[in-house]
Amino acid sequence: MAVSIAPKEATDLNAMEDEAFRTHVRTWIEANYPAELRNPPKRLHWEENKPWYFQLAEKGWLCPGWPRQFGGLGLSPAKQIIFTEEIERHGCARTNDHGIVMVGPLLINHGTDAQQQEFLPKILNGEHVWCQGYSEPNAGSDLAALRTEAVLDGDEYVVNGQKIWTTLASDANWCFLLVRTDKNAKKQEGISFLLVDMATPGITVKPIINLEYHDEFCEVFFDNVRVPAKNLVGTPNRGWDMAKALLSFERIYLGSPRLSAYAFTRLRQLAERMGVWEEATFQDTYGRLRLDLEDLKSLYGTFVDKLRRGETLGADVSMLKVFQTELFQRITDTMLEIAGENAGLLEPMEGNRNLNPTGQYIQARPATIYGGSNEIQRNILSKNVLGLPG
Amino acid sequence: MSQALDDRSESIRMIRDSAGAVAPRGGDTKRVRAQRFVAPGFSREVFAEMASLGWIGLAVPEAAGGAGLGMSEAVALTEVLGAGLVPEPLIPAMLSARLLAASDDKALLDSGKVVLTAWQEKADSIAAPGTGDAPRVFIPYAGGADVFLLPVREGNRIALVSLDATGADVVLEKTMDGGFVGTLRADLSRASRIADDIGAVLEHALDEAALATAGQMLGLMEKAFELTLGYLKTRQQFGRIIGTFQSLQHRAADLKIHIALTRAAVETAAAVLDDGATGAVRQAAVSKAKHRATESGMFVLRQCIQLHGGIGYTDEYDVGLYLRRGMVIMNQYGSAALHRRRFMALAPEDVE
Repeated sequence: MAVSIAPKEATDLNAMEDEAFRTHVRTWIEANYPAELRNPPKRLHWEENKPWYFQLAEKGWLCPGWPRQFGGLGLSPAKQIIFTEEIERHGCARTNDHGIVMVGPLLINHGTDAQQQEFLPKILNGEHVWCQGYSEPNAGSDLAALRTEAVLDGDEYVVNGQKIWTTLASDANWCFLLVRTDKNAKKQEGISFLLVDMATPGITVKPIINLEYHDEFCEVFFDNVRVPAKNLVGTPNRGWDMAKALLSFERIYLGSPRLSAYAFTRLRQLAERMGVWEEATFQDTYGRLRLDLEDLKSLYGTFVDKLRRGETLGADVSMLKVFQTELFQRITDTMLEIAGENAGLLEPMEGNRNLNPTGQYIQARPATIYGGSNEIQRNILSKNVLGLPG
Repeated sequence: MSQALDDRSESIRMIRDSAGAVAPRGGDTKRVRAQRFVAPGFSREVFAEMASLGWIGLAVPEAAGGAGLGMSEAVALTEVLGAGLVPEPLIPAMLSARLLAASDDKALLDSGKVVLTAWQEKADSIAAPGTGDAPRVFIPYAGGADVFLLPVREGNRIALVSLDATGADVVLEKTMDGGFVGTLRADLSRASRIADDIGAVLEHALDEAALATAGQMLGLMEKAFELTLGYLKTRQQFGRIIGTFQSLQHRAADLKIHIALTRAAVETAAAVLDDGATGAVRQAAVSKAKHRATESGMFVLRQCIQLHGGIGYTDEYDVGLYLRRGMVIMNQYGSAALHRRRFMALAPEDVE
């Protein structure tokens, strides 16, 4: 392989014993993570989370899963799991991580040497902040119906169309985009991957205010946007297969118990504050939720064990996403139930970020929608796991 | 934990295979149906075969005359037997084997006799008070016992006595699945003392029985769901296979999730016990599994009837057999509510 990017971390962390590695990671996070950013109530913008991004980058820990020859840590699956667990345990904010988890693996697997050489170092040093241009107004759950088109004109593609729900597009200076390059092929077979500089003329980004009064998502409009043909990744018209492979990360990530576990700790604090902690009816509900959470952890553990053994996850991982997100919602439903009139407050109660029933409740709403709605996950389970007829 | 499970995968596979000797692979329910309400509710020949396969002493250490396997193997076995609706009282016999291995009467362990432990004094319990003159209730298949074991409290200790079942005062009641449970009013003057202090062993054995019962429920769920999926894939209404209807597909997906949660809870708990966990950790793992198996098990079994429609409500169609058996075992060795309370009392909070 021609491309070689020197990794910043000199130590081979894979050689460490698991528990020593865990302690090593935990100690460094505790010493370096900005205290005021622990468990942020909302998804942070780049301006807010970039100190943490640069800290990871400086340490050489930004891309745990990338091979070392591309500047990553090259961690084994088992070590990556520990790394993620420690990040989640400490309540570290999610960074603008699309470059790390999506573009990096995409280019490492399918990119040309020139693409790898150009883009990977700029993810590693934070120069490029990426966003993901997938969903469209008429291609949400049915993503393959996307219509944003790219037409080859000389050595450039001309892109026209609209993307929506583009997370943190207003922060991004680059976008990886699914576009239709063959309108006559079957819908999954005419889609390609393009890498687009957000500064290109013809791109308009409009933030969408969501139910949190937060501008996490955007609409992105493309009006005769000219993209160099060399920015197409992999084989033209084969983008759908690459996109699907990238989503396997998302499916286990969305099934992680961390959101439910965090909400659950806050439920107890709220119950104590509201004076219902000792009540039998509350204790019964709390016990049921607790056991649901513990069993989710057990089920999640069986999938993590598969990754640890180097197996690839099947469609049954959708079970995790469904149960986790619906448990998250049931926990936050219970929060509102016991919160009295605080259930209508915009801000956390008493200025205490840990007593934020409405924030948690609102955040739980999209969990069953994004990453493939739970209805889509159930379709996947019934068709691909249970073999029920179309 | 996962490592331990990997190491055991071969013995688990073997035990599953051997279970086919008793639980017909094709899911034939002819024997099970023929046995219903025929005293003592199970087949002595099949029970003897189970004993000869080493199942009764499965989790008893080899040094004490058992097979020296663990709970991971035990729940794999009870799952397959559960799916086969096998009526023989294996789990009660395994519990007795645990006690016998710790008693002065180890010979009884290999005797081939049906030894049932009369530990229970009230409905929905998992603790044995050992009240000497209290009637012992809900003894599964009590009419088939050759010998009863009774824990009897003496001060701070619980002794164990054995009692010949011949001539014992046993009152039987029929159960929903065609079996029987009995109440024993024991004449302790006829009993022989075989252990002085069995309390800790019994507590452990009751936990193991609860977990094995969770494994049995998992088998019921899996098999009833398999039948239901088959039905959804063949039954036609409105000119379509009903499994093409999205509302039914989504219901089926939810049932699959409940089965997966139950399997994860049961197998995780078995691994915790096999790792030698004691005290609160062991009890919390067992309660978590039994709670899940009962709650999700009965949910799945009820839904399987519903998804079959009218035919699911007939005695002739097999899916109802699983619900009937589920009703009998759901609260054995503690209901979901009991185990939820126990879990909450035991499990440390991990609130930061």
